[in-house]
Amino acid sequence: MVTPPSGDIILLVHESIDADALVHHVCSGADGAIVTFDGCVRNQSHGRRTLYLDYEAYESMALAKMSEIATEVHAKFPIDRVAIAHRLGRLEIGETSVFIAVSAPHRAAAFEACRYAIDTLKRSVPIWKKEYFEDGAVWADGELPPVPQDTPARKRAS
Amino acid sequence: MRWPRGAPGGYNSFVSSVTPSIRVKVLFFGRLKEVAGGAEESVEVIPGSRIEDLFAGLIARRPELARYRGSLVASRNQEFAAWSTPLDSGDEIAFLPPVSGG
Repeated sequence: MVTPPSGDIILLVHESIDADALVHHVCSGADGAIVTFDGCVRNQSHGRRTLYLDYEAYESMALAKMSEIATEVHAKFPIDRVAIAHRLGRLEIGETSVFIAVSAPHRAAAFEACRYAIDTLKRSVPIWKKEYFEDGAVWADGELPPVPQDTPARKRAS
Repeated sequence: MRWPRGAPGGYNSFVSSVTPSIRVKVLFFGRLKEVAGGAEESVEVIPGSRIEDLFAGLIARRPELARYRGSLVASRNQEFAAWSTPLDSGDEIAFLPPVSGG
């Protein structure tokens, strides 16, 4: 777990996510809104019945990237606190895989920051999902994170 | 591991007993872990090697990795990195398939 000085919470867990605790953590008297996103395990994928999911992460890098997202939402939106938790390991249908809570003085910023946080997480945090079906398992289709441009070739010594 | 002398594909970063070398940690995730046959290994490369050269060396040993070259990104020390990124001793290099968290 990473707890930046801002009071945000960044978390990877192997057991159930305590959503109530995260909501409680981000709430302060200065806030007029808390927006949460609860990502849960769906019972089908492209029409195939899902039995369960298994998540794995490059944990040290995932925590770093989730912290970057928290820093970005503070820079982009007038919010108070953000909490981002992702669960790893085997998850059953209906269980929460990712939970985000954002508090802000006003609702518009909380909505926008929460949307930005989950969209960015899905695109850039190194976490992978394997879907188990009745007739086999597949790694879910994902997104390739943006990578810095290739640096120009270094000059050769002449 | 050490790259074999005369690895296929024009790969020239093999390490012989007299060539100075640096050692990096290589990590694989998701389907790449299954293709590579393991999650982690320690690899020697010659100084001046880039991430691209490292991956070419891995392909020389496991040709099935080649088909993933266009659909993965690399990281160096927990930061996404271009293929042209030079390697330093002790680097942690990971090869990452498309991410699917959330």
